[in-house]
Amino acid sequence: MAAESSASSSSSSPAAPSALGRLRNRLEGPNTIGNSRRFWVGFAVVLLGLVAFPLLGGGTGNQFSLFLVLGLLGLSLSLVWGYSGILSFGQTVFFGVGAYTFGVVSINFPTPGGITGAVVAGTLGGAVVAALLGYFMFYGGVRDVYVTIITLVSTLVMLTFMAQTAGSEWTIGEAPLGGFNGMPGMPLLTLGVEGIFTFQFVFNELELFVPVLGTVTFDPFYYLALALLLAGYLGLRVVVNMDFGRVLVAVREDEDRTQMFGYNVKRAKLIAFTLGGGFAGLAGVLYAARNVYIDPSVFELYFATLPVVWVSVGGRKSLLGAVVATIAVEYLRLNIGGELALVAVGALLLLSILVLPGGIVPWIDEKLTNSNLDVSEIDGTEPSTEVSES
Amino acid sequence: MSDSADRQSLGPNVRQTAAERATGDRTDTLLQTDDLVKTFGGFTATDSVDFSVDEGELRCLIGPNGAGKSTLLKLITGTLAPTDGSVYYNGHDITDLEPNERVDRGISMKFQVPSVYGDLTVRENARLPIQQFADGAERRQRVREAIEAAGLTGYEEVDASTLSHGQQQQLEISMAASLEPDLLLLDEPVAGLSLEERGEIADLVQELNDDGITFVIIEHDIDFVERIADAVTVLHQGAVFREGSIEDIRADDEVRRIYLGGE
Amino acid sequence: MAHDLKQAAFQVRYGIGAVVAVVALFALGAFTAPNLTFRVYYAVSFVVLAAVGLAIIFGIMGVINLAHGEFILLGAYATTLSATQLGLPLPVAMGVGALVTAVYGLVVERVIISGYVPNWIGQRAVGRNLIKPFYDRLADSMVATFGLSLIMVQGARIIFGNSIDQIGVPFGSTAGYPDYRIALVGITAAVLVAVYLLFTQTTFGTRVRATMQDEQTAKALGINTERTYMITFAIGSGLAGLTGALFAPLLSMQPSLGDQFLVEAFVAVVVGGASVVVGTSLSGLLLGPIDALFSDQFGEFAGRIALLVTAMLALRFLPGGITGVVDDLRDRMGGG
Repeated sequence: MAAESSASSSSSSPAAPSALGRLRNRLEGPNTIGNSRRFWVGFAVVLLGLVAFPLLGGGTGNQFSLFLVLGLLGLSLSLVWGYSGILSFGQTVFFGVGAYTFGVVSINFPTPGGITGAVVAGTLGGAVVAALLGYFMFYGGVRDVYVTIITLVSTLVMLTFMAQTAGSEWTIGEAPLGGFNGMPGMPLLTLGVEGIFTFQFVFNELELFVPVLGTVTFDPFYYLALALLLAGYLGLRVVVNMDFGRVLVAVREDEDRTQMFGYNVKRAKLIAFTLGGGFAGLAGVLYAARNVYIDPSVFELYFATLPVVWVSVGGRKSLLGAVVATIAVEYLRLNIGGELALVAVGALLLLSILVLPGGIVPWIDEKLTNSNLDVSEIDGTEPSTEVSES
Repeated sequence: MSDSADRQSLGPNVRQTAAERATGDRTDTLLQTDDLVKTFGGFTATDSVDFSVDEGELRCLIGPNGAGKSTLLKLITGTLAPTDGSVYYNGHDITDLEPNERVDRGISMKFQVPSVYGDLTVRENARLPIQQFADGAERRQRVREAIEAAGLTGYEEVDASTLSHGQQQQLEISMAASLEPDLLLLDEPVAGLSLEERGEIADLVQELNDDGITFVIIEHDIDFVERIADAVTVLHQGAVFREGSIEDIRADDEVRRIYLGGE
Repeated sequence: MAHDLKQAAFQVRYGIGAVVAVVALFALGAFTAPNLTFRVYYAVSFVVLAAVGLAIIFGIMGVINLAHGEFILLGAYATTLSATQLGLPLPVAMGVGALVTAVYGLVVERVIISGYVPNWIGQRAVGRNLIKPFYDRLADSMVATFGLSLIMVQGARIIFGNSIDQIGVPFGSTAGYPDYRIALVGITAAVLVAVYLLFTQTTFGTRVRATMQDEQTAKALGINTERTYMITFAIGSGLAGLTGALFAPLLSMQPSLGDQFLVEAFVAVVVGGASVVVGTSLSGLLLGPIDALFSDQFGEFAGRIALLVTAMLALRFLPGGITGVVDDLRDRMGGG
C-alpha cells in the first residue's frame, strides 16, 4: 500500500500519467484515507449502491436524503477541526444562517431563478458569517479552547436572538422570521431559470422505467443531495491534499512552528474556517429546502454538538470518516427512537473517545493497510517505545 | 546603524567571519536590537539589551539558566512582542512585523524543544518549508537535498516522531536552513546529543555558515561553542554581561562566577 | 522575595478593600433600592455558584466538564428527593445532594477522567493500559463529558420522568423579594470564603497549588498528584452538587435544568481566568449585573444576549481573562 501510494503521489514515472492518473494524483495523498485502486473500486461500488438504494427500497430514500445533507455539515467540521485544529461548536451557526438566508431570499423571490439565487445566497451567507467570526477570533489572537468557547457562545447568541423574533416587526421583505414558530411558507426547491430550464427537486416524485424492476418512483432531491455530497467530498479531498491542505495540517500540529516557516497562519485558519462555513451553509440550505421549513432549533446546544459527535466517532482527521459516521450515527439516532436513542448516542460518544480517540474509520484503515513506518524497520533495530498518538 | 567597527570592539581575538574571509572586506550589521526590554508580570526577562550581529558571523549566545537567551531569540523572531525597544534587520525596523513576515525577510529559527511534525513522515516534514517556493522537479530535488543534509537519506517514509532525538535535531536544522535564510537562529541544537552527533551538527553549521548564513546559536556545550563560534555574547539576568572571543570569555573570572554562583 | 511580599501586601490591601466595597454597596443598596439590589446580587450569586465547581476542575486539572450542568442536576434531584421522599429536613437534604454528587464525581474521575479503573482492569487482563487520562486534553474531555451529559440527562428522564415535584421555597420575602434568594447571596460569599481558605490555608490546598504549578516537581516532592486530582474533581463535583441543592427550591425540577447553568458557568470560568476565587468572583460581579440590568430593561432574552456578547468581547480582548487584568494591575501598582 505504502509503495503504491508513494508512487502515485510522487509520480516520478517517466511516462506522463493518464488523465485518470492525474485525477487520482489530485485526490490522493497522505491526508486522506484510501489511496489505492482497491479503495476506489470499493468507493464506486458503494456509490452505485447509494444510487440504486431508493429505487429498490423506496420509502427509506426519503429519510436517507437528510443524512446526506447532514453529511455536508460533518464534512465542514472535519475540515475545520480535523484538518485545521479548530474545534468549532459553531458550524450549526453557519448551517442555520444558510437555512434562514435561503428561506428569506426564496420567499421574497419565489421564481426558479430567485430560488437558485437563494441557494447561492444561503451558501455565501454561511461563508460570510464564518469569515466575520473567524476574523474576530483569529486576527484577534484568540487561540485553542477560547476559540471553541466563542463558537459555542455564538451558537447560543443565535438561539437566543432568533427565538425572540416572533413579533411581526421581525420580517425581512415578505419573510417573517417567526421566532420559535419558525419560518414556513418557503417555495419548493425549483432550480434553473424560468423560460430556459427549470426542475423541481422537492415533493416531485418521478417515475422511471428500470429494466428488471419495472416502474419505480424516486425523489430527485435525494439525488441532488447525493450529487452535492459527492462533489463536496471529492472537492475537499483535493483541497486537503493540495499544498494548502498540508499547511493546514502543519497549523493543526504546531502553529508557532508553522508560522516560523513563513506561513501566514491566521490567514490559513481564516480561509479554512470560511470554507467550512460555506459547506455548513449549503447543508443548511438543503435542510431548509427539504423540510420546506426552518426554526431556531438548529441553534440549540444539542444540535451544535452533534457534528462533534459524528466527527469524533468517525475520525475527525478523515473526510471519509466524517461522512460515514454522520450517516451511521444519524441513522441510529433517528431509528432507535424514543428515549434510549440519546443514551445510546451519549454512550457511543463516550466509548469512542475513550477507546478510539482517533475515530473508527482511521482505525479500520490502519488495520487494513498498515502503512506507517517506524525508524526501526529501516535500521533493523528494536522499535522505539515512543507511541505516536493520533 | 553601527558598522563593523563595533565588532572589533568585542576584542582583538574575535575571529574573522566567513564572509570577511571570503571577500576580504568588512561586513555590515545584519541584526541589531536597540534597548530591547521584555517583562512578564513583575519579572524582567530581557533587560535593555543592545545586541548586534554582523553578516556572515557565527555568534554564540551563552549564559546560566534563566538568563533570557531563548526570550531574546523569540523577540528577534517576533514570537514574543517586546515591552519596549526595537529590533532592526538589514537596516529596517522590524519590531512590528509578524513572525511569518520576518521569515519572508530572511530570518529562520529552530526552537529549543524539538518540534518536528510527529505525525508526518520525514519527507513530508522536509517538504513543508520548501513547497512555498519550489514546484515539481525542483521541489523534489530540494527536498532530497534537505533530507540528505540532515543525514536522513533512506528514512524518507519514516514517521518523524519515531526518529532519535539527534535525528530530529538534524531534521529541524535542515528544515530551518532549507528556507535559505540570511539569519538562522538555533536554540540549543546539540542538547541531548552524543559526542559524534555534536560533531555532525558542528560540521553542518559550519558548512551553512561558509555558504553565507549568519548564525546566532544558544548553547551550553562550551566545547561546541569553542569549535564553531566567531564571537560569544554572555547573557546574565536578562542583560548583556560580556562579549568577546571564546578564549576571552573562557578566561574571564566573572563569567565563571555567574555560572557557579547566584548573583 | 521582596516581590512576593509586595504581591501579598497588594492582595491583602486590595482584597479586603474589594470585599468591603462589595458589602458596603449591598448594604447601601438594600436601603435605597432594595429590589434592584437584591436582583443584581442574586444574579451575581447565580453566576458564581454556577461557576465555582467548574472553575476548580478546569483551573486545576485542565479538564472541561461539559456534564457540569448535569452534576448540578444530580445535586438538585438528590436534594429534592431526599426532602420529598425521605422527609429529611431541607439543610440535611442539601448536604445529601452535595455529598451524592461528590461521590459520583469521584467515580467519574476514577473510571473516565483518569482511566484508573479501566487501566487497572486492563493491566490485569491484557497487561497494558487501556485509556489515556484526560488531563490537559481539552477537546477530548469536552467530547467525552458531553457524551456523559447525554447519558445523564436522558437517564434522568427515563428513571424519573419529565419532571419531579419541587420543594417549596423556605422563608418569606423582604421588600417584595424572596428572602431565600437574599440568603443565597450570603451563602455564596461563604462558599467563596471556604474555597479560598481551602486552597490557601490547608496542606491539601498547598498540594493542589504545587501540582497546578509544576506537576513533575510536585511528584518529585512526594505529592501523590493522582490522588490530588481525584480529590479535586470530587470537590468540584460536590460544589456543583451544592449549587444544585441550593437552587432546588427555586427551579422547576426537569432533566434539562442543567442547561441554564452550563452557559453561565462556562462563560464565567473562561472570562475569569486562571485564579479560581478571584477570577470567578470578579467574573460574576461583571456578568451578573450586566445580565440583571439588561433583563430588567429589555427582557430575559436581551439579558442573555448581553451576557454572551460581553463574554465574547472579554475572551477576545482580555487574554488571560480577568485574572490577567488583575495581575497586570497588581504589577503596575506594586511596582514589581
